[in-house]
Amino acid sequence: MEHMDHTEHLEHTETPADMKSKIWHTFWILLGLTIVDIALYFALLSTHSMLKNALFIVLGIVKAWYIVGVFMHMKFERKVLMYMIIVPMIFVVFFIALMLIEGDYTFQLRW
Amino acid sequence: MANTTNLSTDKKTAWGGGKSPFSVSYGKLMMWIFLLSDAFTFSSLLIAYGFIRYSFPSPMENTIVKPLSHVAEHFTEAMNKAGLFVQDHWPAPELVFNHFPFIHGLHLPLFFVSLMTFILIFSSVTMVLAVEAGHRMQKKEVANYMLLTIIGGAAFLGCQAWEWTTFIGEGARLYGNPFGPRSFAALFFIVTGFHGFHVFSGVVLNVIIYINVLNGTYEKRGHYEMVEKVGLYWHFVDLVWVFVFTFFYLI
Repeated sequence: MEHMDHTEHLEHTETPADMKSKIWHTFWILLGLTIVDIALYFALLSTHSMLKNALFIVLGIVKAWYIVGVFMHMKFERKVLMYMIIVPMIFVVFFIALMLIEGDYTFQLRW
Repeated sequence: MANTTNLSTDKKTAWGGGKSPFSVSYGKLMMWIFLLSDAFTFSSLLIAYGFIRYSFPSPMENTIVKPLSHVAEHFTEAMNKAGLFVQDHWPAPELVFNHFPFIHGLHLPLFFVSLMTFILIFSSVTMVLAVEAGHRMQKKEVANYMLLTIIGGAAFLGCQAWEWTTFIGEGARLYGNPFGPRSFAALFFIVTGFHGFHVFSGVVLNVIIYINVLNGTYEKRGHYEMVEKVGLYWHFVDLVWVFVFTFFYLI
């Protein structure tokens, strides 16, 4: 449990100022990513492709990682808790991808 | 504290019973599991949205209205005439959600919803600052940050109420709308409504915690873990909004 000790050590030696700066750092990242989202939306207004959608989804997942990791403190929890939450969500992402493909088949049947 | 130091023992004894192998309290673990199940519920709604969205053709190409350009009254009717809002094609979100309070006659696509996103992210930050102040047992600071979080949540709800009012005012109903396929408005109401209800519940929980903080309940208890648990829920609501924003407005 070398790693475990390391993370706990990190958490306990953290000063309030460290934590606060980390929170604000994350806030600026989230703000920046949202602005990037909106800028990309306008830059790519007339293009419609799977790639563009994938780009927005990836940006969403990056934002999700910062919210869950830092704000919800998951980065500093035990790995077993992290896997308990993340592994089921991987299946959900898989399910989303499957249903988007299914939706495309429905589209081809209809039009 | 004694609990956490116990937990840095090796793998074999961690699962031997007598202490949480997850190194978090029972309440926090259950909050995580609840949030996972709630994530499934939201995923099912977003999957339904994705499926229905992909079974319709992409929005019509908009070469008429540029961002920040002037638009006349009866914008929706004009878009219907111009063939940009048709029943068979999914409408472009930039043409539907282009209003901003107190500003009339301008095409401002996604400006308002971006503002809502910023409000929610900011209230998430004040929440995590309240949790951080709780670790230091600073009652006054926790109370102030909780109050800011409540204001942020209420502001978001107000924005959503305005968004819904505008949307309904333009003729959107659960059973039909002038923008495109019938399921477009129905999905919008169900998904943002379900999320808005979560925000509302979060604000209610935050108010309860805020009153408890002011009464010194957690000061007496010796820790502010309840703020952390409600904080987890609040961040989750923010997290869901990230995906609602991505799926509904950007894609």
